[in-house]
Amino acid sequence: MPLDTSTYSLAHLRVDGRRWNELRRVHGQISTQAAADGSSYFEMGNTKIICTIAGPQEQRRGGNSGQSHDAKVEVEIGIAGFSGVDRKRRGRNDKRIQEMQHAIASAFTHTLFTHLYPHSTITIHLHVLSQDGALLAACINAATLALIDAGIPMSDYTAACTTGSTASYASNDEAADPLLDLNSMEEQELPFLTLGTSGGDDQVSLLIMETRVQATRLEAMVSVGLDGCRQIRSLLDGIVRAHGKKVLEARVT
Amino acid sequence: MPREADPSTNEQAFLLSALRENIRLDGRALDAYRPISLSFGEDYGTADVRIGKTRVRATISADVVTPFVDRKFDGVFTISTELSPMASPAFEVGRQDQTEILLSRILEKTVRRSGALDTESLCIVAGQKCFHIRADIHVMDHDGNLVDASCLALIAALLHFRRPDVEIKGEEVTVFSVREREPVKLAMQHQPFCVTTSCYEEGTILLHDATLLEEQCREGDVLISMNKFGEICQIAKYGGAPMDGLSILTCTNTVLERVKIFDQLVKDRIAEDEKRRDVGGLIAELSAENDR
Repeated sequence: MPLDTSTYSLAHLRVDGRRWNELRRVHGQISTQAAADGSSYFEMGNTKIICTIAGPQEQRRGGNSGQSHDAKVEVEIGIAGFSGVDRKRRGRNDKRIQEMQHAIASAFTHTLFTHLYPHSTITIHLHVLSQDGALLAACINAATLALIDAGIPMSDYTAACTTGSTASYASNDEAADPLLDLNSMEEQELPFLTLGTSGGDDQVSLLIMETRVQATRLEAMVSVGLDGCRQIRSLLDGIVRAHGKKVLEARVT
Repeated sequence: MPREADPSTNEQAFLLSALRENIRLDGRALDAYRPISLSFGEDYGTADVRIGKTRVRATISADVVTPFVDRKFDGVFTISTELSPMASPAFEVGRQDQTEILLSRILEKTVRRSGALDTESLCIVAGQKCFHIRADIHVMDHDGNLVDASCLALIAALLHFRRPDVEIKGEEVTVFSVREREPVKLAMQHQPFCVTTSCYEEGTILLHDATLLEEQCREGDVLISMNKFGEICQIAKYGGAPMDGLSILTCTNTVLERVKIFDQLVKDRIAEDEKRRDVGGLIAELSAENDR
């Protein structure tokens, strides 16, 4: 058992030595790929993602061309074979990945000002280099940074993180603690959810949970998640401001 | 590529302005469902669910296969969904549609990942033989709220299904046909149901069981699957308009109420069906006075 619940209750320290409300190290870079319209590199602990943006550009030949007055957001996720613990090839038709693509696309369709770019597409390419939990959350954060780099107007940052609960679904344990930002070992055995916020306080734009959990647990998990998203948002903001400062300083000299 | 035509601006404006006054076009309350009918087929394991004009049929079948190498003690359970052009002209044969992917993922997460069906009970001989339970979801008519209808049909069909009885003597396995031995029910651990909540006007108006037109006009949706014990099996809110964290939590309470109604409905219908099938034991069945 990776997260031995008995030791957790003794010292309140998780397998990697964090406390319940601590995020892993977050590191982000903007404009990493020169060829792309916008790009970013984002790390949440050992989850590492490169995101590149293509667009807004002319719509590819499709069925509904000429109909839309909004830009279409497309997402493509490529998970590298070496990213996980065991080398597994995931096809393009994996439904789990397609679901993630849909979730990211519809989350950004709402925050981006797509009405400014009629008849065009914005393609978000996400390359997962290393996975260690919070895959969807890291993808969303990376895409936010890259879209800012691409200069596409948006109403707010979309920040995401995961939260879990120490109680497994079977036990109706009252002393269960919510946990912030699980790593992959914790994700495998604890119920967790991915939460994405955008547009002011406590506005949930994305919430995905795949594991069984008591409904009474949800409130604590969501409130810890909202707090985590607030932290992620300020970290993203810091990354963007630091990058902007660097660009301006380079221009002055 | 046929695509569902978007509703006209007039239709959308009419629907939304009516909703602002808490009126739905078909006169229902915001959290009310259309009339739900659930019926079972002649065979075990077919359930037909109608919610208003939406109609979904679920069929369960079982056969004996070798289990996966990495899961020697588990049976196999697969759910396959099919959206045929019969349901809506927007669906095409062979092409994977966004609706289909989401539908199958939600069912997968609600029923399979939450462990509703005890797959260990499907094992016959560890590592050699197990049952493969296959659920086929056929959507016959699409007028909104496919996910709720499919989930209801799937759970009802699983509860209704009986698999052939088996007997193991040493290495030898005998699978008895329905004639030889009374088939046995599947071991269900809990019955999760999915309820879709659609939101309008920046998440201030929430309604259940949206029709197709209402679905096309909505800003976002939250799919929550729960069982009657108040366990959440799955939540999916894919983007769309942001919602207050608190209103999602209140959502789960209304969902739980609805799930309890679904659970009771399925239970009642199953009991009715069992009563109809029960002819009064072997003696009554073999009576000379019976029809030939």
